Amino acid sequence: MRATSVIHLRNIWAPLMSILRGFLVLVLFFLLGESLRLVFMVPVSGGILGLMILTLYSSVTGGVGNSVASASQALISVLILLIMPGLTEIFFISSKFSGQWLAVGVSLLVGTFLSVVTTLVLMNVLTRKSCSGSGRHG
Amino acid sequence: MGSSLTIWERLLTLPQILGETPVLAIAMTILAFFAANRLYIAIGRPVWLPPVMPAAAILAGMIALLGLDVDSYLEGAGWLMLLLGPATVALGVPLYQNIHHIRAMLWPIIFTLPIAALLAVVYTLAIAWALGASPTVMASLAPKSVTAPIALGIGASIGSSVPLLMAALLITGVFTTLFVEVATRLLKITDERIIGFALGLNGHAVGTVRAFEISTTAGAFSSLGMSLTGLFTALFLPIMFRL
Repeated sequence: MRATSVIHLRNIWAPLMSILRGFLVLVLFFLLGESLRLVFMVPVSGGILGLMILTLYSSVTGGVGNSVASASQALISVLILLIMPGLTEIFFISSKFSGQWLAVGVSLLVGTFLSVVTTLVLMNVLTRKSCSGSGRHG
Repeated sequence: MGSSLTIWERLLTLPQILGETPVLAIAMTILAFFAANRLYIAIGRPVWLPPVMPAAAILAGMIALLGLDVDSYLEGAGWLMLLLGPATVALGVPLYQNIHHIRAMLWPIIFTLPIAALLAVVYTLAIAWALGASPTVMASLAPKSVTAPIALGIGASIGSSVPLLMAALLITGVFTTLFVEVATRLLKITDERIIGFALGLNGHAVGTVRAFEISTTAGAFSSLGMSLTGLFTALFLPIMFRL
């Protein structure tokens, strides 16, 4: 009985510790990004800078460890949880800008539709061209 | 503490008192997340409804039901949203894992990005201007395709209204998920790399959440689209507004 419970504990503990270690690495990259943003007054957020540094670092060192990969997967799977609070605010600010909602709504609706179609068509055409240009198909 | 109140009165003031700590806001957010997950599966995962929408609606309902002030909720939820920084960095992992896909599509990406990111702004501003939007509203709509932390930085330099900017941003994210779904069917596009890139370029984090539901490759391309659009827009929008 005791032996199995120890094994059980280890089974839970090891991945948890690994995720925590990976999380630390992600937080450190974020802090590095924030520091660069503040020191060099870059208009880009620390998170995006950290993302780029992590990607660059991975390409140089040939990848990140398992712990960073699993921490990253865990965070990405709850990304929706982190953007929900901001979205909730929409339900409560409708009273402001009362005369402008038509302009806001229509421009966002039509503007977003047009830019989505533009992106898809451009990417589609250019991908086909670059594929046939380099002699590869697919 | 409140001994003159009856047990019912104390019960009714409970949300306000608990709302002073972030714990209630965090619990509500996670609860709404799981409730929305269940609801989303129960109604058969409709493609026209981005899952973040029912989640936010349930959360808004909970806030209204408990009679909480939305600002005090947001203050508490801010503790949860601290994770957005490391979560953004985390997107670098799938990005790196898909670097060979990205290398293969380097030129289409380099050409599409400035054109599409610029047009995303131009289309919306032109329509808003034609419909008589005020300069503040226009400045709030301009960074709509950029991920929130960068958009807030841009907004501060071009004179946006913060709540309207946040609303425009999130509505754009929701519309993007919807329109990418519709447009890929109309245009018969099935390449996950193209779909992912369009989701991230136009719909930032909301689009990226959707892209990761499709596949890790779509998610990686969405992360790439989101970061590049953020970078590019942060550089050109303040210059454009100065002119």
